[in-house]
Amino acid sequence: MATKQEIQAKAQQWFDQKGWKPFPFQKETWRAYLNNKNGILNAPTGSGKTYALALPILLTHFESGANREKSGLQALWISPIRALTKEIQSAVNKAAQDLEVPWEIAIRTGDTPAKQKKQQQQSWPEFLITTPESLHLMLAQKNYSRTFRNLKAVVVDEWHELCGSKRGVQVELALSRLKAVSSKLRIWGISATIGNMQETAQVLLGADYSSADVSEIRADLKKDIEVITLLPDTIEKFPWAGHLGIKLLYKVAPVLQSSKSTLLFTNTRSQAEIWYQQIIDRIPELMGQIAVHHGSIDGKTRAWVEQALHSGILKVVVCTSSLDLGVDFRPVETVIQVGGPKGVNRFMQRAGRSRHQPGTTSRIYFVPTHSLELLEGAALRLAIKEGVLEHRQPYVRSFDVLIQYLVTLAVSEGFDRSQVYQQIKKTYSYRSLTIEEWDQVLDFLVTGGPALNAYDEYKKVLVKDGLFRVESRRIALRHRLSIGTIVGDPVMEVRFVSGGRLGTIEESFVSKLKPGETFWFSGRNLQLYRIKDMKVLVRRSKSTKGMIPAWMGGRMPLSSQLAKVLKRKLDEASEGGSKESELAKIDPLIALQQARSRVPRKDQLLIEAIKSREGYHIFVFPFQGRFVHEGMANLMAYRLSLVKPMSFSIAMSDYGFELLSDQPIPFDKHTVGTLFSPEHLLRDIQTSMNLTEMARRKFREIATIAGLVFKGYPNKPHPQKHLQSSTQLLFEVFQDYHPDNILLKQAFQEVMDFQLEEQRLRQALEQIVGQEIIITQPQKFTPFAFPILVDRLREKISYEKLEDRIKKMALQLEKV
Amino acid sequence: MDGSKLLISAINAKVSGQTLILHPARAAYWLEKSTLLVADLHLGKEAHFRKQGLAIPDSGMLANLANINRLLKAFQPRSVVFLGDLFHSSYNRSWEQFGDLLKGYAATDFHLVSGNHDILAEEHYIRAGMKVHPKALHWQPFLFTHKPQSHIDHGLYNLSGHIHPGVFLKGKGRQSVKLPCFWLGQNQGIMPAFGKFTGLAIVKPKSNDQVFVVLKDRVVGV
Repeated sequence: MATKQEIQAKAQQWFDQKGWKPFPFQKETWRAYLNNKNGILNAPTGSGKTYALALPILLTHFESGANREKSGLQALWISPIRALTKEIQSAVNKAAQDLEVPWEIAIRTGDTPAKQKKQQQQSWPEFLITTPESLHLMLAQKNYSRTFRNLKAVVVDEWHELCGSKRGVQVELALSRLKAVSSKLRIWGISATIGNMQETAQVLLGADYSSADVSEIRADLKKDIEVITLLPDTIEKFPWAGHLGIKLLYKVAPVLQSSKSTLLFTNTRSQAEIWYQQIIDRIPELMGQIAVHHGSIDGKTRAWVEQALHSGILKVVVCTSSLDLGVDFRPVETVIQVGGPKGVNRFMQRAGRSRHQPGTTSRIYFVPTHSLELLEGAALRLAIKEGVLEHRQPYVRSFDVLIQYLVTLAVSEGFDRSQVYQQIKKTYSYRSLTIEEWDQVLDFLVTGGPALNAYDEYKKVLVKDGLFRVESRRIALRHRLSIGTIVGDPVMEVRFVSGGRLGTIEESFVSKLKPGETFWFSGRNLQLYRIKDMKVLVRRSKSTKGMIPAWMGGRMPLSSQLAKVLKRKLDEASEGGSKESELAKIDPLIALQQARSRVPRKDQLLIEAIKSREGYHIFVFPFQGRFVHEGMANLMAYRLSLVKPMSFSIAMSDYGFELLSDQPIPFDKHTVGTLFSPEHLLRDIQTSMNLTEMARRKFREIATIAGLVFKGYPNKPHPQKHLQSSTQLLFEVFQDYHPDNILLKQAFQEVMDFQLEEQRLRQALEQIVGQEIIITQPQKFTPFAFPILVDRLREKISYEKLEDRIKKMALQLEKV
Repeated sequence: MDGSKLLISAINAKVSGQTLILHPARAAYWLEKSTLLVADLHLGKEAHFRKQGLAIPDSGMLANLANINRLLKAFQPRSVVFLGDLFHSSYNRSWEQFGDLLKGYAATDFHLVSGNHDILAEEHYIRAGMKVHPKALHWQPFLFTHKPQSHIDHGLYNLSGHIHPGVFLKGKGRQSVKLPCFWLGQNQGIMPAFGKFTGLAIVKPKSNDQVFVVLKDRVVGV
């Protein structure tokens, strides 16, 4: 038996042998862990965070007198990304061997072969690295309570990443069960720096611990970040959206050429593909030394890219958030960010990828994709300087995840009504769950609820000897195949005719392609051969033309923290005479805006009303991020329709939004205030018909997670078209027959919390109350309005009768 | 919507000298021969999906049956012709519900021009008292088929379904809308799909075609 001091000394010795010096935060974590504390470790990637926790966990082997027998599963290491598990495994393995801890360090994820999983089940490894999904799959096995009986440690890596997603809720639920099964559990999260770290610690740990048992350890490794904006030589006064910054490639090229290794981050996968093409076009000698890396590219290819960058084969990797995470991702020389990153946290994390060593300066180049984004460069620099950080908003009361979890328990060992209720009430997510809601959830599992009880297919769980169980093997099988909360946009796999997976593209894109046509994907020009069994079969093509797939989603809104800083920068810009390079550059644009309309100050809201050939436009510039603008636009459309029934086409950016109508829009400086009043916000939002539309879209994910629709067997997936129409139908059935359904209500709540960001919308409206509203009527479109005007991703909303609308429309005829 | 309202909201169209009353329930009534025309009902789709684990309730099918019932009540037609894709897939319980409904109209005879989806065994049609026409049904001047015919003999008017036609309308202020339609050309007409949630194929009519879009409770010529 070793004492705590002896164990800590062992850790120190190991570091000494390696010629390393532990950071204070590592020592502090060792101490806290050995003193049976739970907690959060705030440490950036590449700082040695793995050894801060893995070492004391391994060394507890000696606490109980080191015996060489198998001791069962001792520790779980949960990682959000499968690709990271290998790195963790080799790091922990190295330490275990040196320290003579005879533990098996294993991985169990969706990539683990079935045979290996079986072997693990016969004799569990002591240290298991896994994902939230695979952990839930383990809970879906009979005997899980034996498996986890001796479990002593759970580490949740990249907790900041998981916390703001439903996968975080999955972790909370799994932990609530593990706490009950194992009595000596220590729980730790590892998190990058975010604004609400204390809250996320509560989310992870739940209500089981007194604050004395909880530690919050900060690595506090100061790192300077230098932001260099690549400036165009001349500024475009009409900043097109969608130029993707390619125009600045001539400025990016020398940076790429003079750097040994570069990560170039784009905001979307399509942008990554485009940049990859354009770079090769411009710098052909980079061929073979450049690769593209994003979430739709096949895992094996991605792993190769990461490896090749480390080993120096690749000089440039064009990537998306797919490379935001990584345990000991070795630093690159240069990091470039194309387009506004929309948040400070993300930007800093990416910057941190360059010159990793603590204490050195990280440099990041920012490439604006249109002239107005120059302001974002300046805003990011200020935000970093002032230590502005965003919050991660945890999901709460996600009934879909709860239902999935309960079926998981019912599939394996069954569960007791009141015992599990007590457990989940202690989680952060479900602390407000009432007993009535709990009964509704159980009723839904057993009968399908009032709307669906006529169909046997929904009666999944039955009560036997006081336990809720699933007895049908078919239901159990389908459930195991459906565990998880990531419901992506419908995608299809891309494969070479000759074999070999390339990745996935969205079904909606595939449907636009005809056999023989070419498109760019994974950095290659491909020709569509045919579509078979939900697979897209392609051949290599020598063509230089081709469409770029569009992937939905991924457009993050400007964070409210960054929005605030941005407005301050705009003020500075409008005053003129700034020496900051971005602001000086944008001067002509600001001057033109001022000449045609106005540049709003911090305490002003600018509205531009313009008549064009297309109809009547109003542009509003609150600078609050696109989600808030979406809510405001809908609210305004609804309130205007109370004056007279109208139809609108709506477009928005992070800076403002546009309402376009075929009729004059009835407002003036006397009535405009009521359009933005926070009064009756909830009521008005709820009656605006788009809300139902938004909830309907959210419901697809909710119904899938809750297991109402089955995505099909791995070799025989259901076409997405069918899944889509069935979730839509369910949505309508609930609306008609059971409007109180918990999943239906959840869909509306998620729209309010995450899409409209009701809190933020309310705050934004309250801000406007105190602002001066300026209405201008420019003769021509202004530099501010232009990027919104040309955005083709538009929403339509109408308060007119369909009959009246079609009277004003023309039938689209065959072209003669 | 009850039967009388259906009649009010319908609209008359003339093709080949015959009168078709077009209904918002996406069916047409051939006035001269007292014949109700229905295309692409896709009955039983819900139960078919449920078997595959796609949890769809029957509400769509029940609404379809209720609409058929209302039409039959309102018109009391001598005949009904289904222009194919009546039943979505292999046999399931929904067929019986449909059969029970038809039994209530003993004075009406029912015809089916088979479509690509109609794969039920013959006995099921016999039990429902339905006469099946494998390729086409010729009732002058109409040639009823499931798929639109590429060649049409002189003096015939081909009325079909299959494609679930819809049109795209565009207006000022970037307003646009897609709606299901009756598409009636010179010697060929295509019916909208009767079934709910059957999807739309956007077609581009010629300038002298007659196009009628289906709104919630009315049919409008465009």
